[in-house]
Amino acid sequence: MIYSLTTSELMGRPDLWQAVHALRHQIFVEEMGWEDLRRPDGLEVDQFDHEEAQHHLAIRNGELAGYQRMLPTTRPHLLTDVLQDLCEGPSPKGRRVWELTRYAVAPHYREGRWGVSSVGSELVAGFIEWGMERDIDQVIIEFEPMWVLRALQLHFLARPLGYQRTYGRQQVVATLLTFTDDTLRTVRAKRDHQAPVLQHGYPDLIGLKKAS
Amino acid sequence: MSDFDKTLEYIDQIQAASTPDEVCGRLLSVTREFGLTALMAGTVPDPGTPAEDQQGHVLLCDWPTEWLERYVARNYVDHDPLVKFMKRKPAPVKWLEAADAVGADEFGRRVYGDAGEFDLHDGMAFPLITLDGKVMMVSLGGSVIDLSPAEFGIISLASTYAIGRAMQLHARIETIEHRIELTHRERECMQWAAMGKSEWEISQILGISEHTSEKHLLNAKAKLGAVNRVQAVAEAIRLGYIS
Repeated sequence: MIYSLTTSELMGRPDLWQAVHALRHQIFVEEMGWEDLRRPDGLEVDQFDHEEAQHHLAIRNGELAGYQRMLPTTRPHLLTDVLQDLCEGPSPKGRRVWELTRYAVAPHYREGRWGVSSVGSELVAGFIEWGMERDIDQVIIEFEPMWVLRALQLHFLARPLGYQRTYGRQQVVATLLTFTDDTLRTVRAKRDHQAPVLQHGYPDLIGLKKAS
Repeated sequence: MSDFDKTLEYIDQIQAASTPDEVCGRLLSVTREFGLTALMAGTVPDPGTPAEDQQGHVLLCDWPTEWLERYVARNYVDHDPLVKFMKRKPAPVKWLEAADAVGADEFGRRVYGDAGEFDLHDGMAFPLITLDGKVMMVSLGGSVIDLSPAEFGIISLASTYAIGRAMQLHARIETIEHRIELTHRERECMQWAAMGKSEWEISQILGISEHTSEKHLLNAKAKLGAVNRVQAVAEAIRLGYIS
């Protein structure tokens, strides 16, 4: 299940807050080599964890299995303030456009070397459902170029916002994805799971784990 | 117009293509400007895949026919340095660099030598990963390749969108091939069932026996893979057989 929490809701639950920022540090600093984000406490936090950010938590077996963060484009976000050189023209902005950042699946919830795991696709279904509830139909994503093909296979309408560049150990391209009912249908069909994944409220308490 | 606007225009044209051949043609019209004149894209087959099955791995191809035939007949896929390279580590690479990287043997180099006979002296290849985790290799060949990072960016973006479009078109062709055929009578019965008519009522409306109307509805239900009549009606509407 995917739970969507505001930053203050997340901070109201120290177990979840700790798990989120530890997972982010583990994936983005230790695994992907974004050294600028390294912090001695092993909890990755940045200037965009502000009150308007929305945190999507994928919970499986009482633990944090996946995560993504949604940022409004009506105020500064990664593409405008950190990754400017990924965008060639004016960056898309507006109430219906959000930026998806820090997409992450915990290592033992990944499947195969290249496949999209069940947690990974649940996060995708989650942000589409979340967007549809709020009249949002576009997301900006900075991801590896090979994701573009998968987005097209899931019936997103995709448009590149700039050329690909190298960040850390990765190639990254900024892409604007538009989703429709057809996208949600396709994602659900590929997952073989028709029921909504977005859950309202808080998940149960999860175990406080030491950052590894 | 900036280079990037031009790239967007290429991509729009590619995404508007209505057949895989058209996708191939539009992509090549972009890459030809950079000296890349031949395209092959497909999933990487496992070693020892029989020649007749290798075709199934091909998504887009405009290689000279004679070259493709020779490639398949001589089983070059098992020796092609590019294929070896992509299996080891899917990453963008130039043809000649891939041969060095995998330490290509004489046979491997012969694949390239033969390509040269068809005026394919060098090229670039890069991987894309499909939803089910398969590596799709895009290989573009031509004369001497000397691309700036920006040009590489244009080509890789255009190719990615071309492959995406080609896969959408292939998926559509498969759906049409597997399209369930409902007979005229089955469709008529479903249409009345959707309006809440019973088997007996349908038989009266259509002037057939109750048993026959029941048979038509059961057949339609089976073809649509539905577990009951409500689901059959919903499926028939979704697939556009009835309104």
